Amino acid sequence: MAETARVLALVGFVFLAVFISSLLFSLFGISPLIGLASLFQLGFGSRGGLAATVGGMVPLLIMAIGLSVPFTARIWNIGGQGQFVIGSIMATWVGLELAKSAPAAIVIPAAMLASFFGGAVWLIPPILMRIYRGINEVITTLMMNFVAVFLLDWLITGPMEGRQAFALNEPSSAPIPSSLMLPTLVRGTNIGVGLVFALLIAFGMFFVLKYTRLGYELRLIGDSVEAAKYAGIPIERNLLLASLISGGIAGVAGMVQIYGATGILLPQVFSDITTSYGYLGIPVALIASLNPIAIILSAFFFSGILTGAYGMELAYDIPIDVVTAVYGMVMFLAPLGFYIKFTKRKLHF
Amino acid sequence: MVIALIISMIILVLMGMVPRALPIIAAATGELVDQNAGTLNLGVEGMMLLGTVVGFFTDFYTKSLLLAFLVAGIAGLLLSLLHAVAAISLKADQVVSGTAIWFIGWGLSGVIYRALFGNYLIPPTLSALPHLQLPILTSIPIVGPIIFGEDPVAYFILIMVVIVHYFLFHTQTGLNLRTVGEDPRTAEEMGVNPKRYRYGATMFGGFMAGIGGAYLTIAVTGTFYYDLTAGLGFIAVALIYFGKWKPFRSLLGCLIFGAVYVIFLVIQTYFQSIPYQFFAMWPYLAIVAILAGVAAKSGGPAALAKPYEKGE
Repeated sequence: MAETARVLALVGFVFLAVFISSLLFSLFGISPLIGLASLFQLGFGSRGGLAATVGGMVPLLIMAIGLSVPFTARIWNIGGQGQFVIGSIMATWVGLELAKSAPAAIVIPAAMLASFFGGAVWLIPPILMRIYRGINEVITTLMMNFVAVFLLDWLITGPMEGRQAFALNEPSSAPIPSSLMLPTLVRGTNIGVGLVFALLIAFGMFFVLKYTRLGYELRLIGDSVEAAKYAGIPIERNLLLASLISGGIAGVAGMVQIYGATGILLPQVFSDITTSYGYLGIPVALIASLNPIAIILSAFFFSGILTGAYGMELAYDIPIDVVTAVYGMVMFLAPLGFYIKFTKRKLHF
Repeated sequence: MVIALIISMIILVLMGMVPRALPIIAAATGELVDQNAGTLNLGVEGMMLLGTVVGFFTDFYTKSLLLAFLVAGIAGLLLSLLHAVAAISLKADQVVSGTAIWFIGWGLSGVIYRALFGNYLIPPTLSALPHLQLPILTSIPIVGPIIFGEDPVAYFILIMVVIVHYFLFHTQTGLNLRTVGEDPRTAEEMGVNPKRYRYGATMFGGFMAGIGGAYLTIAVTGTFYYDLTAGLGFIAVALIYFGKWKPFRSLLGCLIFGAVYVIFLVIQTYFQSIPYQFFAMWPYLAIVAILAGVAAKSGGPAALAKPYEKGE
């Protein structure tokens, strides 16, 4: 019963947050309620919108799962974006290099491994600094995002530059061979094998966090580092392992995006929030209170808002940045939903 | 010949570093007060972004510099108030709340700009800030223009650093504030209300971040583009760590940062064969390296980011 009340309160506050953000629509001469209705209509209401939402939730879902692992121990990996970029670079590079000499059944797993490795490595310096010197990981992981974005920018204008880069006016890598692209499952949509990967990762991490010693110890550390230390839990090892998994999964999110959606390395414009899955994944993970199964729902919900906002931009010329405000507002207000039950406890999130 | 070149480069760097550093100085000085009172607001970036757009449009429409900075500061303050309620009253996790503040400011800045200016091919720009032209003083070679030839807002920001230093270390209220950051219970026993101090400090941090953001659009770029701060808000927080939570040390860190930033801009023009990205990524790597060199708990407020509960 209390659980139901908590969930209802949470949902209520999420909608309140979305509503407050929709007040921004009035800046563009659209009444907030009508704007809100069309946002949801565009994101969830039609077959096309729903398909785009389900297809688009893949990178969000994988990213949020990856972030939820260290978040459980209250290690804040804000660098998912950089790890995503490095993962997509590694995956594209493997695809372009190996495609001629190996079949897809070998190249795709190799690309996945490479992207996992790349993402994990990208997180190592900030996390070592956090574990051994206590340096705020939020800042360092964020700084590494910028470095990754400039690295990508250099690669696609230099060593990995694609010769005939579509009709785009932007630099990009060469496309990976179409034989490597993950097959779609529903004709005419972008719902493909990537979604299966994402769901497998979600269920896998659910198992890990819920039933393994690692998950148990991470939760203890998250509750209280002192208590965990007292209980003899190896803090450093757990945090390092959680971070490597996190960076790795964020890297795989980049790989799945290349192999399942874009097929090509595109420039990452830092200010373009709509492809900044490393940032968007943060509220997706938090709203689901870091539970991988709940993250599936939350990724679906946030992906729908993203799809709806795309539609709003096309229909009413409302900038997509509304999404950022919505996400921030949800992140801000949703904890109040948890607060309702835990009035005696810390608003712990 | 070489010496002349080097000297002209040094002058270029000295001239360029102050404007580059000022937005970070403003934001860091505000956030430093906040952290000394024990609240960590990682939303500096968001408050700066809101300041960039609010300062920009206020200046664009009213042509009043004073109003532009004031309104930008108030916008940052209002955003920080959200963080204050969450972090201080509701005891939310401050990293999460700060990140939310960042997102809100980021989104709002883009939306507000588009609502007011639409999609310009050539973005509207502001006229440059008036620079002080003090007789005699500004005509002193090299030093004159650097020290005496800045714009009025630059002096305001620099004076704020001095005021904050004086406030924190030479007034009773400042001592109280630092006690709140070290040990809120002792502070309360002394008859100080920790929550009130933390609210005040957080709001001051928001105000200064807004000013810093406005300085970026009004004085440095003269125009607005999306995500203009590009991490400067986080860099400001990092330089507080570098400065060990002391205003003058943080100021020094910001100036060094500004100087090295400009040095790389200058070097870049001489080595055009090296891809520009390697110059562009250095400030971020430098911050990581700087933080790696700063020992963690060196002088940080003991109760930083820990919510205070009465009678706990």
